[in-house]
Amino acid sequence: MARKMLIDGELNQSNEQESHYDFDLFVIGAGSGGVRASRFSANYGAKVAICELPFHPISSEVVGGVGGTCVLRGCVPKKILVYGASFGGDIEDARNYGWEINEKVEFNWKKLLQKKTDEITRLNGIYKRLLSNAGVKLLEGEGKVVGPNEVEVTQLDGTKLSYSAKHILISTGNRAQRPNIPGQELAITSDEALSLEDMPKRAVVLGGGYIAVEFASIWRGMGATVDLVFRKELPLRGFDDEMRAVVARNLEGRGINLHPRTTLTQLIKTEDGIKVSTDHGEEFLADVVLFATGRAPYTKRLNLETAGVELDSTGAIKVDEYSRTNIPSIWAVGDVTNRMNLTPVALMEGTCFAKTVFGGQPCKPDYRDVPSAVFSIPPLSVVGLSEEQAIEQAKNDILVFTSTFNPMKNTISGRQEKTVMKLVVDAETDKVLGASMCGPDAPEIIQGIAVALKCGATKAQLDSTVGIHPSTAEEFVTMRSLTRRITAGSKPKTNL
Amino acid sequence: MAAATSLTTPKLSSPTLQSLYRNFPIAIPFYSSFLFLPKTLSSIPPRRLSLSPSHLHRRLFTVRSDSDNGAEPARRYDFDLFTIGAGSGGVRASRFAANFGASVAICELPFSTISSETTGGVGGTCVLRGCVPKKLLVYSSKYSHEFEESNGFGWKYEIEPKHDWSTLMANKNAELQRLTGIYKNILKNANVTLIEGRGKIVDPHTVDVDGKIYSARHILISVGGRPFIPEIPGSEYAIDSDAALDLPSKPEKIAIVGGGYIALEFAGIFNGLKSEVHVFIRQKKVLRGFDEEIRDFVAEQMSLRGIEFHTEEPPQAIIKAADGSLSLKTNKGTVEGFSHIMFATGRRPNTTNLGLETVGVKMDKNGAIEVDEYSRTSVPSIWAVGDVTDRVNLTPVALMEGGALAKSLFLNEPTKPDYRAIPSAVFSQPPIGQVGLTEEQAIKAYGDIDIFTADFRPLKATLSGLPDRVFMKLIVCAKTDKVLGLHMCGEDAPEIVQGFAVAVKAGLKKADFDATVGIHPTAAEELVTMRTPTRKVRADLRSEGTTDHEVKATAGV
Repeated sequence: MARKMLIDGELNQSNEQESHYDFDLFVIGAGSGGVRASRFSANYGAKVAICELPFHPISSEVVGGVGGTCVLRGCVPKKILVYGASFGGDIEDARNYGWEINEKVEFNWKKLLQKKTDEITRLNGIYKRLLSNAGVKLLEGEGKVVGPNEVEVTQLDGTKLSYSAKHILISTGNRAQRPNIPGQELAITSDEALSLEDMPKRAVVLGGGYIAVEFASIWRGMGATVDLVFRKELPLRGFDDEMRAVVARNLEGRGINLHPRTTLTQLIKTEDGIKVSTDHGEEFLADVVLFATGRAPYTKRLNLETAGVELDSTGAIKVDEYSRTNIPSIWAVGDVTNRMNLTPVALMEGTCFAKTVFGGQPCKPDYRDVPSAVFSIPPLSVVGLSEEQAIEQAKNDILVFTSTFNPMKNTISGRQEKTVMKLVVDAETDKVLGASMCGPDAPEIIQGIAVALKCGATKAQLDSTVGIHPSTAEEFVTMRSLTRRITAGSKPKTNL
Repeated sequence: MAAATSLTTPKLSSPTLQSLYRNFPIAIPFYSSFLFLPKTLSSIPPRRLSLSPSHLHRRLFTVRSDSDNGAEPARRYDFDLFTIGAGSGGVRASRFAANFGASVAICELPFSTISSETTGGVGGTCVLRGCVPKKLLVYSSKYSHEFEESNGFGWKYEIEPKHDWSTLMANKNAELQRLTGIYKNILKNANVTLIEGRGKIVDPHTVDVDGKIYSARHILISVGGRPFIPEIPGSEYAIDSDAALDLPSKPEKIAIVGGGYIALEFAGIFNGLKSEVHVFIRQKKVLRGFDEEIRDFVAEQMSLRGIEFHTEEPPQAIIKAADGSLSLKTNKGTVEGFSHIMFATGRRPNTTNLGLETVGVKMDKNGAIEVDEYSRTSVPSIWAVGDVTDRVNLTPVALMEGGALAKSLFLNEPTKPDYRAIPSAVFSQPPIGQVGLTEEQAIKAYGDIDIFTADFRPLKATLSGLPDRVFMKLIVCAKTDKVLGLHMCGEDAPEIVQGFAVAVKAGLKKADFDATVGIHPTAAEELVTMRTPTRKVRADLRSEGTTDHEVKATAGV
């Protein structure tokens, strides 16, 4: 097999030196980034092994599964539950469209959970097949780094196997974190939330990030009482402030109780459920308390300190622009590096890694204009800069175009929920710096806009595109009137 | 009017206008327009002098753009612009013209859900008999599919949901009334004079509305099109799309004649509302003019949802039975027992009885008004936009034409509508979105092209267990890497394609698509993760391709 190695000096190495390694690449962790890097490296001709813990929907130190967070405990099962929960709103909306629906509509959580587990089990199988079709050797067990070119895999039965590899890639992702409050063991994280035995009637969600608002939406859509508790004034820190306010309003509109500027102080088990106390002296009873208080890189058990791989203060592996750690033969991609924790970004990093190391084309992942979505109900999706970021980075004046409207579907359903779209434009160059939307189908709509933004589209180019009528998306190409202009040098307003 | 979606909100009527005022600050002193262009005065009716200076300021462009007419002796007109027909194109042109300072009148027939020689309504086809009511019915009919899907997600209905047609019609009509009211307000707020009645052109500068005579420097015809039913025996029993949107009761069993987008949309609507639906088409395939793969895909998906297609089976006669039921006789036999037979057999420009022949406005053989690139007819003071010109019959195109015309006439910015890369949608179930060239067009125009396709079962369908699939296609120029066309059939296709239309219109390349990171998990991300061409078409040899199916099955990882 014609194999190209373009890493410094390697071209000079003789074949004998090359062949004393068991593998060209050993990957620890078969999530999105790891699988992508393995497959692509194998396609370039490398001999690749990947190790992963045995499959289980809930991750721990001894279980995980091929597919990783995205497929088993993140994007996919989450989206399945969001679909399931969205029908709750649809059923309400259908009535004014002429549908006579008996009050007795039942939602069977167990059935959905079973189907979700079936689906992720199926995907786990597909991933394994993908690896074997690509000629990647899959080893089940816990991988540890022993040296710059050596990995130890502890199998289920406790036996340890040692492998040598020219390159080691760490892609072990991250894990949910728990705040240290009295009774914290009574709470669950998103892993368990995706696999609950029973559907909670009363749920308390702690956290203001995307995981928190997604689960709040899921349970609310299924009919639970939901209290969302978060530290800031608004949920979704880091997103555009105006859009955060829209999300907050919509969550409230869907019946979620918001508790801004609040945190939990303790959890106590009682006969009627978990008694939850806040720092404002409030108390509520809950069947389930979810901690969605951030995720930390999963580097503890990898033996990285001994191997000399540098970590940052959060435990994330430090890498250069090519995903290389301070040890030249050790690399890392995905959430374990805590760069931009999104599946498609891990895929991009994995692809770039394979290209760089085995494809002979040094390739840096490009983090500009990466679009993302929050699958709250309704969802939020963004690409490029928020208004605050644009103001902060601006050399020129910033033009802000917003459109707030009642989507056509609501005119008959009677749902009181505005869709909001926003464009942030550089007044001088006319370049669109950021686009965001909160409303039905936002993630599907933003993807195409993201292509335009990535390529430096101007507002004039958006304007010159004819709308698709009647759609929601057409608003993005018909935003004629300026909402406000912000003079260069202004300070972004607040820290909500 | 911006999209009707936005029309449904107060924001359109107020903030839009507010901002328009903001955009034209009263900056130039009143008298300056006299100084610059004394000619302006002669052309302004005296009463206009009392209007705001900003009006006058804008007016100066009016005259400049009027160089043709400048040659003729100054003449006073009642209006700078008289528009016949208050649909999408007419309202847009009128409003913009008024905002640019012109005095504008628009005439329209009284409101009715069904159009005729004597009825119409402010808002036009799109708002009253097209896009809007159609989409509302699509929303309503889609729920049956959603209920089915929801079963797969754990939802159970003690009694199967039943649809009540009259509730839908009442709510739909209330919404249409509201919208026509909003449109009237928009005209009023823009200072456009609305005249109810039938407009007829008397001479190049004169319009007769039910006996009252109005003079205008420019006349705009924007009367749109109407459904066309071919003359066959019994065609009087057939309904058209106007009637289908406002039936007194839901069809039990309906025959839809035609294979165009209107036929498919109504087939989806009635099928979703649990009517028995038969579609009769003359051709082998539905949706002539669309990409061949899309044509096949949508017909297959619709069949799976229960619609019966009768291909190469044009109708010959409709027979009414004693029990009132209808039979459709075709070249292949007779299908009986229809409660309704709908013809979706095309639309024709609405140009009869407008006085066009008398003033010498040229029309093509279909009755469409012939216009130049600026929407000017063969009579220099008469213009036409929208479906009546039978160019690209879409609301946003009529808006573009109307906007361009107002700019050309009253803003001194001669503007041609740009017909490149116009995206469009078919709200069939599943819907279609497309922009740019079909594969066939691309081969003709560019020869060597690469085709990327994805045909996959979306995440939702794996849970619902329904046979729903999604089809996506990118057509790329092999030489330049430019994306020439993008087609999709599947849930949310129209919403998904809009953003990509910006990219296609901007002439972006496949490499630009590939450089864009996906939004996970969405359907749309497939369009930026198509790595391997399905096939390469070369002018000299037909080369094969590989498929990406295994990869698609795994959400692209």
